[in-house]
Amino acid sequence: MKFKIWCTASQNYGCMMVVFGLVSYGIMVLAERNPDNVRNGKRSRGPSPNGHASEDSSIEEEADERIRVGRDYQATVPDLIPAQDRKAELTTAQDRALLVWCPTVEIPDSKVDDFISLAKERYGYNGEQALGMLFWHKHDLERAILDLSNFTPFPDEWTVEDKVLFEQAFQFHGKSFHRIRQMLPDKSIASLVKYYYSWKKTRTRISLMDRNARKLASHREDGSEAGSEVGSNSDSETEEKKWTIHRGIRRKSGSPPRTTQLEETGSMKKDGDSSGKGSCSNCSVACSQTISTPKGAMCATCHAHWTRTGVVRPTMGPAKPRDRQVHLLRNKRKPPRGMFVNHDDLTRMASGPAGQGEQMLRSMDREIVSLKRQVQSNKQAISAMRTRTSCGIDDYRPSDSSNRINARWSNDEMLLAVQGIRKYGKDFQAISEMIGTKTEVHLRNFFTNHRRRFNLDAVLQEFESENGPIIENEPKDEKMDVDVEPSSPAINSSPLTVQTSINNVKTIHKTAVSATK
Amino acid sequence: MQAHSKKRVCYYYDSDIGNYYYGQGHPMKPHRIRMTHNLLLNYGLYRKMEIYRPHKATAEEMTKFHSDEYVRFLRSIRPDNMSDYNKQMQRFNVGEDCPVFDGLYEFCQLSAGGSVAAAVKLNKQASEICINWGGGLHHAKKSEASGFCYVNDIVLGILELLKYHQRVLYIDIDVHHGDGVEEAFYTTDRVMTVSFHKYGEYFPGTGDLRDIGAGKGKYYAVNIPLRDGMDDESYESIFVPIISKVMETFQPSAVVLQCGADSLTGDRLGCFNLTVRGHGKCVEFVKKYGMPFLMVGGGGYTIRNVSRCWTYETSVALGTDIANELPYNDYFEYFGPDFKLHISPSNMANQNTPEYLEKIKTRLFENLRMLPHAPGVQVQAIPEDAVREESDDEEKGNPDERLTQASLDKRIVPDNEFSDSEDEGEGGRRDQRSFKGRKRPRLDTKTPGESNDEKAKGDGDGTKSEGKTEEKDEKVASSDDAKKDAAPNP
Repeated sequence: MKFKIWCTASQNYGCMMVVFGLVSYGIMVLAERNPDNVRNGKRSRGPSPNGHASEDSSIEEEADERIRVGRDYQATVPDLIPAQDRKAELTTAQDRALLVWCPTVEIPDSKVDDFISLAKERYGYNGEQALGMLFWHKHDLERAILDLSNFTPFPDEWTVEDKVLFEQAFQFHGKSFHRIRQMLPDKSIASLVKYYYSWKKTRTRISLMDRNARKLASHREDGSEAGSEVGSNSDSETEEKKWTIHRGIRRKSGSPPRTTQLEETGSMKKDGDSSGKGSCSNCSVACSQTISTPKGAMCATCHAHWTRTGVVRPTMGPAKPRDRQVHLLRNKRKPPRGMFVNHDDLTRMASGPAGQGEQMLRSMDREIVSLKRQVQSNKQAISAMRTRTSCGIDDYRPSDSSNRINARWSNDEMLLAVQGIRKYGKDFQAISEMIGTKTEVHLRNFFTNHRRRFNLDAVLQEFESENGPIIENEPKDEKMDVDVEPSSPAINSSPLTVQTSINNVKTIHKTAVSATK
Repeated sequence: MQAHSKKRVCYYYDSDIGNYYYGQGHPMKPHRIRMTHNLLLNYGLYRKMEIYRPHKATAEEMTKFHSDEYVRFLRSIRPDNMSDYNKQMQRFNVGEDCPVFDGLYEFCQLSAGGSVAAAVKLNKQASEICINWGGGLHHAKKSEASGFCYVNDIVLGILELLKYHQRVLYIDIDVHHGDGVEEAFYTTDRVMTVSFHKYGEYFPGTGDLRDIGAGKGKYYAVNIPLRDGMDDESYESIFVPIISKVMETFQPSAVVLQCGADSLTGDRLGCFNLTVRGHGKCVEFVKKYGMPFLMVGGGGYTIRNVSRCWTYETSVALGTDIANELPYNDYFEYFGPDFKLHISPSNMANQNTPEYLEKIKTRLFENLRMLPHAPGVQVQAIPEDAVREESDDEEKGNPDERLTQASLDKRIVPDNEFSDSEDEGEGGRRDQRSFKGRKRPRLDTKTPGESNDEKAKGDGDGTKSEGKTEEKDEKVASSDDAKKDAAPNP
């Protein structure tokens, strides 16, 4: 058992940590926690006598729907404290609220993030606890990190049994926490409420598969103990009820229902008449002959598996839904679309030592959570970039390119140019855009002038080895490369010939025009 | 603690607040405050504020407004001793809308403690903006619980502010009328209450355009009665001019804004069509005046939207932009399927025509003109602490605008002059009682598994189709959005 700290010597310290729900490791004295505990004790009264509507509750509130005037209704407005008297007032009225965090400008955000994720991952803190620790050390990051290991968050007081009990109680009583508490007498209502809210949207709560598994499990129990018919009825009823209740769905007619609801009702409807359809309720294979079982009509294969093992045959891979009806049915019986159950995994989970399956699932849950976290922060980053670039990316160009183009080469620019050649080969236009202060012509000159000095041919070779030979990619470039490629006179001459031919055309055209006149 | 160049924001939160539970089927869910808190934490807004864990307000503090008897009652009532308090429960209106639940008094203590501490903080000028999402329980009366509210933390906070501020402005953007606060300050000219709310067959039934205050407080209560379907645009078109005018004429030195989120689209009890952005614009606008500013929570019954809204408004207070994509958080699955911060309005019809809004505005402007400028000013009492807002200076430089008594008299109109105002378009002023059983959130005290004997007393709407199964029970509930059940009754 772990001791909750309450140490007179470092009362504030303990208080601080208790605020954040941290337990010290083995230092300090054992004693009552602080007023919080007392309160919890006070809170855990027995459940109330749940009476039904008494007569007086049917009496409407007698409050007249008017604003009432009189001594019994208005507040007594205090006098303004004159400015000169305020000093005294201020010193007497101290902060009775406990400061648990104040912002700091000394630590950059990224460092705080790192600190929080360290505390979270290594020591199981939550963000608030981590910041509380940092604040306690007056924003001294190093000391806070050192102290992290001295405390751990209160262990999860919910054992597996508690959780199972809670689910059962919830199925019976819905959100009557008083009644649930009768089954879990050592939990306070507060703790039940807290657990309820964190549980209601978790995997085990909303996953169709898990629901199905639970349902089947309860079926099995029913089958062995009492009449299965009664069992299944009451079960599906609570199921239905549970769903509507926990979602708090009180939708107005105008708003669209949730898809899950659709599925729910669809499959509920389907449940009734599925046996006559000639398709297996387990693997949804259409078959001429079905064998009806307490779990619905099954095909021969599923039935054989079921009678042999007592477990419904696990199905794998996506079975193509034949029509919508089948699809709806499948939703109830099978994993959601795009998710396949691997037979081997299932056997491994089932055959391993007790709790292994649960552990596997839990680690997968953790993985999912961290992936979701990642997804959301990526999404945030993307949308931030999008908004920033939405009004043009000109701000992000390295300095104002059009204004400051000059022919003098600084060291940086030369370095950039070489890197550019490494990256773009002889696509001088791209390189000039990258550098921003040089035109394409500048770069061409640079290339010829410094070819040897920077060993640009080797650079080009590197580029070519990655991107393939240049010539084929950029025949146009080569054509215009008058001074760079003196070795290829044929290409060299071509623009000239083109030019002269154009001139020729022009003169011909002119003469033709004047001739017509 | 170092001083910040930016606005200092203090935030009050107790981690226990989410654990209080009003009862099965009750729309008020303190858990929404924890959801908000968790979002703030994961958005990284938490670390930009001073975070306080509020003290528990004492009975003594509560009796600054509430009657001793009522507070004593709240202190002693528990689910297991309710049968001993039948009489008082009726008297204090506890048991129906306002059920007795486990930890009721502590819940009130925390909510009130936050608002009072925030007000003290503002008085000390130790902060420019204080936030208490656990507060904002604006229906509670001096000796009466009402509309899910038991202790009026807002009134307690304002009373604290009044020690240092000659005039305090209270603005209420909850979909329900802020009747508790209005009533508490109905006869004083030191607090102006401005409430924007749905009016007409709607809880709590007060908040008529013609309710303007009484005695010294005449013209110091401003009510903006609205119809279903208010959208962002209409809301801004009425909020901005009215608040500007109020600021100009009343010249407060501190503001309290009740940010009830049930005016958002898709609220379980509300009927407006505001988005988070439109709701937040009100905060933004008030913040611009730069005076000591207390933000409190309030209604809000579609909890995922409530937490979205308050998270956004916290970011507005901080002046920080936050991404539309929600960060992963403890309650991430609540925000599906889009996991975005902002919500889109529905296509519901806006029954507030521009003409209607214009008419209200004109009437209210006429009322505001009745205010003597800068009422109750004692020269030495003008607090030196507030960051001077422009309008303040402007007004003072313009004494000529002060109306003469004669012209004031000329403008006084009999209270009943507005009797055929727009808001009665649908068949005249209703008998207040006639709609009691309808929109008013009603308690169906039947708990699951209980006998059906209460069917007999069903009054047509709330319980008429009380079925045998829970499933049916829920369907009834979905058709009558205001209905609730549970609340154990002796």
